[in-house]
This record gives sequence, structure tokens and C-alpha cells, in this order.
Amino acid sequence: MAEFLLLLHDEPTRLTRLSPEEMQKAIEKYMAWTKKPFYKGGKRLTQDTGRVIKANGGKPRATDGPYSETKEVMGGFYTIEAADYDEAVQLSLTHPHLEYGGTIEVRQVWAM
Amino acid sequence: MTTPAETGPLLDHLFRRQAGRIVAHLTKLMGPAYLELAEETVQEAMLRALQGWPSQGIPENPAAWLFRVAHNLAIDAVRRNRTLREKTDAMVAELTRSSSALLDDPAVEERLRDDELRMIFLCCHPEIPRDSSVALSLKTVGGFSVREIARAFLADDAAIAQRLVRTKRQIRETGLTLDAPSPSEMEARLDAVLEVIYFIFNEGYTAHEGDELIRLDLCREALRLARLVAGSSLAQPRVHAVVALLALQAARNEARVDAAGNLILLDEQDRSRWDQKLISLGFHHFDLSMAGGPVSRYHAEAAIAATHARAAVTGSTDWPTILELYDQLLALNPSPIVELNRAVAVAKVHGPQAGLQAIEPLEVDAKLRHYYLLLATRGHLLLELGRYKQATDYFRSALECRCSEPERRFLRRKLDDAAKWGRFPTCQL
Repeated sequence: MAEFLLLLHDEPTRLTRLSPEEMQKAIEKYMAWTKKPFYKGGKRLTQDTGRVIKANGGKPRATDGPYSETKEVMGGFYTIEAADYDEAVQLSLTHPHLEYGGTIEVRQVWAM
Repeated sequence: MTTPAETGPLLDHLFRRQAGRIVAHLTKLMGPAYLELAEETVQEAMLRALQGWPSQGIPENPAAWLFRVAHNLAIDAVRRNRTLREKTDAMVAELTRSSSALLDDPAVEERLRDDELRMIFLCCHPEIPRDSSVALSLKTVGGFSVREIARAFLADDAAIAQRLVRTKRQIRETGLTLDAPSPSEMEARLDAVLEVIYFIFNEGYTAHEGDELIRLDLCREALRLARLVAGSSLAQPRVHAVVALLALQAARNEARVDAAGNLILLDEQDRSRWDQKLISLGFHHFDLSMAGGPVSRYHAEAAIAATHARAAVTGSTDWPTILELYDQLLALNPSPIVELNRAVAVAKVHGPQAGLQAIEPLEVDAKLRHYYLLLATRGHLLLELGRYKQATDYFRSALECRCSEPERRFLRRKLDDAAKWGRFPTCQL
């Protein structure tokens, strides 16, 4: 089994138009997903641009980023267990994030 | 067979319910002019829950969490709003005081119910056009979104949004308040509320091509609002009649369609699928509706629904009583639709020929001439009389009228029957 990192990209304005009923449904779906057997862990990130530090020729400098606006942010990440990329993608396809228009980036964790 | 609804970790419809009562409460604290601010605040609180709960877990008391966060957001919003000026401090103080209230305190519960009630009466103020009252009630008290309301009424989002903006402006500009109606205006105000509630229910109950789920939600919300009014000091016998009517009709919701989404007429429904809990609720309020006072149209309609509900076995319906009740209803609320329904009862009691005669005068009404139910009823009675050719014509005309997809399928089925039997005249009995 290999470990995969799921990066959930988000547009913060995307969910603001959901109705209360839809918000509740969304909470329930997101929570239900974390109860799945392949789920290992995850964290939610604050809804801002974050900071990027670049070497800047020996004088490291922090700037807002990697996205310049808060139109798109990294909403959070999960780790899951899967045999290979195919399976990891299959499992990720069941995530409600996609139903609500979000994007999921799937990366395999290096293992020796 | 019914499968139990999938239940999440949260109480069903918790957010929608809480949205309504928190908006009502914040509007009470800040004043109806700030209804929009209250709505935005509650929406933001729900969004925070959506962002936080999936990773942090659901708080022990989700309703209290939403209540508190919405208050805090409202306090921030009031502080930021420079147009409030000298009113700011008083509003912040009011919101702060309220935010520490404990939701499990019965006195607080009572107050929140009272806020919701005042809000319904504001939304249904006789000065507000009915369609606007309906949309505003669903939005502010019901916790429905613009899109959900639009879906329920087959309108577009922009039109509903526009209507809500206009209505809120009207409330601001005419200075409508959340004060309880004075005794002199009580009757008219209560009637306006009941009319809106009944309208919401009928929109949900009438089969149209709208989304099935949202229609059931409308019925549920109308019943909830009616019970809210019935449980208050403003209740009068006719409010109980409305609760009875809604509950008894809603009890049949499940039995009205088959698995394929086809309509099943009352006569052919599997009565074991009628919701017994709603039926008992209906009869309970039906009894309360008899506590004196004038007889309203709702009394007559509830009595008709109760007579149907009493017939536990198909074919045991007491049609003579129903016909008498339709006569009463017609006197209380003369309308061509009531007359059409009465004609069906006439046919049941005195035969299809008498039913046809009762329908005839309605056909001069220009508005009804293209009403599919009138044509379909006529077709149905002709079918019973064995006049297949004419029945076919009427079902065909009915199909040309505006009606929903399930209704259309139903009419096609009837048309097929008429055509089939018409082809084999020897089979006529």
C-alpha cells in the first residue's frame, strides 16, 4: 500500500451561495468521507493566500502566495491509502469536494 | 416500501430551521430595516460551520454554536456599519446580551418561537403582495435559499431575488414593524397569514414538474408554520382547521405516487401507506377547530379531508357527507375549482350523468375552458358512461392544456383506456 496526499483546491466564494439545507448536507458528506477505511488523516487550512518564501539569490524573501488573490486557495489536505495512482484517483473521485465544484490534486508520498 | 431517510450526524433540516429562527431573532434585536443584515450574518455563520466542522468535529450543541457565531458576526457587522452612528452602541449591547442566552433554557425557546411568529406576521402583512409574502416567508422564516424558492415555483433565480429585494425595501420604506397585531387588525392579519401558509402548502402538494423533494419540503414547512401559529396565543379555531387540513392531506403524500412517479388517484391509493401519525395529528386539531367561532372555508375543507381519512378501506368513503360539505364550502368560498370538486362528489353520489350536468355550467367560464382538470373530469365521467368516443376527445383536449409530466402520463393512460374500450364496443357493459 502506498500513501497519497490529496490537496483540496478551493474557491472561497463557491460555497457562499449554498442554502442552509445544502450547507448541512455538505458538512455531512465531507464528514462521512473521513470515516472511510482508506482515510488516514487531514487538516483544514485557513482561507487566505498563505506565504511563499523564495531563495531570492541568498536573501530569502516571503511574499503572499502561491496564488496572488484569494479567489483560489488551498482549502486543506488529506492523506489516504491506496495501491497506486489509479486507485487513489478512484477513491478521490468519491470526495464531495468535486460535487461542489472544487479541485483535488493527488500526489503520491515518497516511500523507500 | 419506504426506506428510512439517511440520517447524518446532525438533526434533519437543523440548518434550515436554525437559519429561520436566528434570522427572526436577530431581526427582532436590530429591527426589520436590518433584515438583510441578519440574513447575511446567518449565512456567514453557516458557512463558517461548513468550513470548520468537517475537520474539527461537530460542536456539542450545534444550534447554540450557530446562534452564538451569528450573534458575534452581527456585532462585528453593526460595528463596521457607519450609517448606524448613535444606534451602534445600543444595538451592540442588545446583541451581546442576547448572545449569552442559553438555548436550552425553556424561556429562551419560548422567546425564539415568539420571534418567529412575529416574523411570519410581518412577512404576511396584508400590505405586502401575496407572492412576495410567500417568497419572503420561505426565505426568512423557512430558511430556504433563493434558488430553492425559484425551484419550487418554477421561476428563475433572478426573479425571486428581485422580488425579495423589493419586498424588503417595502418593509423599510413603509416602516412595517414586528409588533404583534392590534386587536382591531387581528382578524385580517391572521387571515393573511393563513392564506400564505395554505398557498405554500398547495404549491408543494400540487403535482407539477418541480423537484419532488423541494415540494415535500414546502408541505412540511407550511405544516410547521401552521402548527407554530396554532401553538401560540393567537390561535383561533380556524387555525386548528388549517393544521388539520394540512396534516390530513400531507398524510396521503406518500401514497399519491407509485415507484415510477405516476399519480395514483385517491380511490386507488394503498391506504396502508397513509401516514397515521399525521392523521392523528390532523384529527387532534380537527377537534380543536370545533371550539366555537365562525365556520371558515378551512373548517369545511378540513372536514372533507377528515371524511376521506376516515375511510380506511377503498370504497368505504362517505360520499354523501362529502357532497354536503362541498355545498357548505361553496357557500363559504365560491370558486369554480370548488364547484368542479363538488361535481366529482355529485357523480359519486348520483352517478356520472348527474356529475356531467354539474360540470356543464362551469364550461362557460373562459378561464376554466382550458383547465386540464375540468376536461379530464369530463372525460372520466364520459368514460364511465361508456361514451368512449367523446371521452377520447376530452382527454385529447386535456393533454393540450398546461399540466405537469406526471399528470400528462396519467391523461395518456386514460386516453389509451378510452381508445381501447372504444375499439371493442362489445365489451361495453
